[in-house]
Amino acid sequence: MKRITGLTLLSVCLLVGACFAAKVNPDSPKPGEELARMADVSGRYGGHLSVGERSEPKTLNPVTATDAVSREVIGRLMGDLIEINRSSQQTEPALAKSWKISSDGRTFTLQLRKGIRFSDGLPFDADDVVFSFGVYMDEAVDSPQRDLLIIDGKPIAVTKVDQYTVRFVLPRPYAAAERLFDGLAMLPKHLLEKPYREGHFAQSWSLNVRASEIAGLGPFRLKEYVPGQRIVVERNPFYWKVDSENQRLPYLDELVFLFVGTEDAQVMRFEAGETDIISRLSAENYNLLAREKARIALQLADMGPSLEYNFLLFNLNDLGGKKLDEVAGKQAWFRDLKFRMAISAAVDRESIVSLVYGARGTALWGNVGPGNKLWINQAIPHPARSIERARELLKSAGYGWNSAGELLDARGQLVEFSIITSSSNSQRMKMATLIQDDLAHLGMQVHIVPLEFRAMIDRVFQSFNYDAAIMALGGGDADPNPEMNVWAYSGTSHLWHLGETKPATDWERELDQLMQQQMVTLDYARRKKLYDRAQQLIAENLPFIFLGTPNILASANSRVGNFHPAVLDPYTLWNADELYVRGPAQENAGIR
Amino acid sequence: MSYIARRLARAVLLLIGVSALCFLFTEMAPGTFFDEMRMNPQISPETISALRARYGLNQPLLVRYGRWVKSALHSDLGYSIAYNVPVAPLLWSRAENTLVLTITTLLLTWLISVPLGVWAASRRGGLLDRSVTLLSSFLISVPELVIAIGLLAAVVRWRILPVGGMRSADFEDLSTSGKLQDFLLHLALPAVILVLCETAVIVRHVRASVLEVLDAPYVQAACGFGIKSGRVLFRHVLPVAANPAISLLGFSLAGLLSGSMMVEVVCGWPGLGPLMLEATLSRDLYLVIGGIMFSSLFTLGGGLIADIMLLALDPRIRREAADAQ
Amino acid sequence: MHSRTAILVAALAGLHVILLFAGFVAPYDPATQDRELPYAPPTRLHFEDASGFHLRPFVYASMRVLDGDQAGSYQEDQTHAFPVQFLLHGSSYKLLGLHETTLHLFGVVEPARILVLGTDGYGRDEFSRVLFGGQISVAAGITATFIALLAGGILGSVAGYYGRWIDESLMGVTELFLSLPWLYFLLGVRAFLPLHLSALHTFFLLTGVIGLIGWARPARLVRGIVLSSRNRNYVLAARGFGASDFYILWRHVIPEAFGVLLTQAALLVPQYIAAEVTLSFFGLGVSEPVPSWGNMLSALEQYSVLVAYGWLLAPAGALIITSVLYGYLADALHSG
Repeated sequence: MKRITGLTLLSVCLLVGACFAAKVNPDSPKPGEELARMADVSGRYGGHLSVGERSEPKTLNPVTATDAVSREVIGRLMGDLIEINRSSQQTEPALAKSWKISSDGRTFTLQLRKGIRFSDGLPFDADDVVFSFGVYMDEAVDSPQRDLLIIDGKPIAVTKVDQYTVRFVLPRPYAAAERLFDGLAMLPKHLLEKPYREGHFAQSWSLNVRASEIAGLGPFRLKEYVPGQRIVVERNPFYWKVDSENQRLPYLDELVFLFVGTEDAQVMRFEAGETDIISRLSAENYNLLAREKARIALQLADMGPSLEYNFLLFNLNDLGGKKLDEVAGKQAWFRDLKFRMAISAAVDRESIVSLVYGARGTALWGNVGPGNKLWINQAIPHPARSIERARELLKSAGYGWNSAGELLDARGQLVEFSIITSSSNSQRMKMATLIQDDLAHLGMQVHIVPLEFRAMIDRVFQSFNYDAAIMALGGGDADPNPEMNVWAYSGTSHLWHLGETKPATDWERELDQLMQQQMVTLDYARRKKLYDRAQQLIAENLPFIFLGTPNILASANSRVGNFHPAVLDPYTLWNADELYVRGPAQENAGIR
Repeated sequence: MSYIARRLARAVLLLIGVSALCFLFTEMAPGTFFDEMRMNPQISPETISALRARYGLNQPLLVRYGRWVKSALHSDLGYSIAYNVPVAPLLWSRAENTLVLTITTLLLTWLISVPLGVWAASRRGGLLDRSVTLLSSFLISVPELVIAIGLLAAVVRWRILPVGGMRSADFEDLSTSGKLQDFLLHLALPAVILVLCETAVIVRHVRASVLEVLDAPYVQAACGFGIKSGRVLFRHVLPVAANPAISLLGFSLAGLLSGSMMVEVVCGWPGLGPLMLEATLSRDLYLVIGGIMFSSLFTLGGGLIADIMLLALDPRIRREAADAQ
Repeated sequence: MHSRTAILVAALAGLHVILLFAGFVAPYDPATQDRELPYAPPTRLHFEDASGFHLRPFVYASMRVLDGDQAGSYQEDQTHAFPVQFLLHGSSYKLLGLHETTLHLFGVVEPARILVLGTDGYGRDEFSRVLFGGQISVAAGITATFIALLAGGILGSVAGYYGRWIDESLMGVTELFLSLPWLYFLLGVRAFLPLHLSALHTFFLLTGVIGLIGWARPARLVRGIVLSSRNRNYVLAARGFGASDFYILWRHVIPEAFGVLLTQAALLVPQYIAAEVTLSFFGLGVSEPVPSWGNMLSALEQYSVLVAYGWLLAPAGALIITSVLYGYLADALHSG
């Protein structure tokens, strides 16, 4: 009897001990570890924070993940060679502590930090880097990120110089090339080489992966996944950043991603205190939370205009061969610059900002808004709304009005067209309704056709069976390079006229040349001049009629420390390693 | 019995029909899973085409259907494009959650509706009857979505219940009774919404069918003979009234997997509903088809069970089936 | 008819008449936006002012007051009183779709607005939109019900009368219909439609789709009735007399089913109105700026709107009233 009781007692103690041992303590900094010191970061250890996500992540594989939620979770588990600081929008050394660029701008030699370990304790060195890039650029893997590493149709050459030095040779100079490294996670060769060689890399690191089989260089590592409900990540004890007092980051013991659903459901759960951080609120929800501020202790952040641009797009594609006579007939109107200028003059951008964005937004007349301080062309005019000017423009282009006030073109046809937009985006639907009313003042009959998202994409990119569309682009990065495919005449996002084999107009030719030039210009001032001219061309020729951009709105519980949302994605978790939990000492059952 | 055999054969044929029509419908809805990537200016169309080819999305409809049928016969329902895992286990893990919700709801609904409906009918025109009719009319008139959102808003406003998910974040740290309590609290909101909507419908049907039988001449005769009303009710009225009720039960069983979709999405219950909605909107082809086949199995199975029950319980049907042979 | 049924029918008829004459009863055009007055609360009617009690109510103009961080609130501008007038002239509309006129039941002189149920996010009068929206939604419900019952009635009769394999295959098809993934189909249908569908075409398409999806249940009901009446004495006798199948169906069998169909109709109309609401949530309903109860309620999908602007629940209220009336009618018909 006594022995049994003793055994029971022992096992109980062990169990209890195991429960307490479940918290992962940061490994104290070791000699030989070259850690990155964040000089202005301080906080306290312990606690956990919950974040709501719109849906479940689909995978934890950084090479194949395409959806935003997966990327947000993966981003906390993985580390990059060079990072873009979302707050300053500039690059910073990360796993690469320094780099040298050759004079022709084509060769980057990166020095890796020594003594860094993955979250499973195994060392990181140049072999992992070379392996990772090999996977990204392997055609058989079909990673969407492969296209980032192909410049001019040729891949970047990656070679190992020594155990902590890697050389990258670009096929030609590429402006701000170091920005490419942000988001390219470094993979552990010791875990992934085998599945890669065996050809089933895409199935690795699915959501069912065991915590012991996945390792990264990010501030957190996988702890558990409960299907349909949440993913929990815990502190990576070997993370390579320390704060101002040489304490190893991250401060949090755990970060919990809850799969909550729509933005409204997220707001509800945030209000109920089940989540601590909510990013990308709509203005109405932001105001709702502002009203609740007295009742719930929270911090609100309005970070100013985002980098995305919403626009009205007219179908200027070549429709030869497709049986789209109705659309083709209307293109005579759409192709007329004065027609588009008239529409731009008639659109009530102020109402869009006040009614759609709840006054927390900015009107746009070009593709770069005030949120992008480094690249905006301030000289672009912002003409006020004027129905008279719109009517003058139409008149001078040969349009007229009948007795009922309806607009007729030079051939006497009624001007009537439809605007498609995604039915799931309530803001763009609202814009469409406002524009429909605006254009009615010009006598135009506009129909709004809400389409399910993929159906809309199919029409814009494939079938070209549409008249006009309201869409949004941008927001990925402040740098102009990611926009290449929109403005280059052969670009895949050159939405108004896809599939051009040569520039359709003179201004598009000039725009293409400008974009190509800025891509290889390494000096910021010269690039800015080129891009300024590009913005001017775009604003004058109106391939898109720019409407507006929302502000980035976020909120967090008061107890979240170091909450610094940014205008670039991921808006609130980009500094997850610096977040900490404020509050009474009892909450933080940790080191300090 | 050959009646059952015939119904089984018809069910199998229907399953095949559903699968074929599914493929046809998915072909009609434009767009594929990878279209979302077109909006990202940094991904080339070659990558998108290569991905489409890898998942066999660019092959003709008949080829895809043929391959799917072949693998389905080996109970391999294909891969989910989004999750990159086999469809069947993914579906099953979510279906479990849905069934927990719907079976609980089913039991509660019938436990409430049947006595309430019978009672209301037996005291026709009385206070209980009138209030039951009024309330059920009201509940039926309001769309399920409006009830769901309304209750959700109330619950959040006054912090009555936790919202979303099946368990709290610190579930593992709770005691067993704590875990049970936590689970029940999370189950409460979606279950209440569903029970409200379904009870309203079932109560009316139960009441209507009992009323119908109560008006029958033989019941009047039995009462006239002085047989006690309780005995009349249980021995003569209910067995007859059971027929339409069993058909209804069949419908309820059929809807076990599909009926709760909207409530699950609104309340954040991690069942089949949110998974299927997202899969449909993102064109995760094999997940959608697998899910529909799963639900169809339940639908057809529910109808089959109802038919068998009817056969066993209602001698009229047995005679009709025998006559038909 | 019982007096209760008569009252119900009268109430329903009154409701439908009001909707039919929506242009007259509504003070404003449903599509006119007033961008200075988004989400304005209902205008308050006043009977008393500084000079005492007035029999004729009056209103004040609403002013939007913005205060820094918040969305803005509304106050009354009490400098000028606007009495409510009856039978005045306002925006033009087509009475019953035929006669163009500007006569409205009630209203106030500009610049004040009498917003019985407030405004929506674009400053459009909610009361007017509920009335015009009711036209669309109720008409959709009635039309879809008609289609469903017609199709279901015919097919059910045929199945029940002829029996055997026609019956079996028809029942199989109804089961198939009931198990299919309609969401996918609807997504596909909408995407397939030509872009230039007028609101009228969309309306008919919508009701056609709802009705065709819904034929299954009435068909089974009718089939059941027909099956049981098929073997009635008078039918056998008629056949003995040499009556054709069609004649028997038309004169003897279908009238039996008529009563049930009528009750079904009263039950289905509110269901199909609700179906239109649901479809609008997927953006598959009637599109802007044409109001329908469905697309008006979709604005409430946003939690922030639901919580802050409760008057926008008006279409739900109208829907509930309509459904309750129809439901009572169905009850009355069933027991009558």
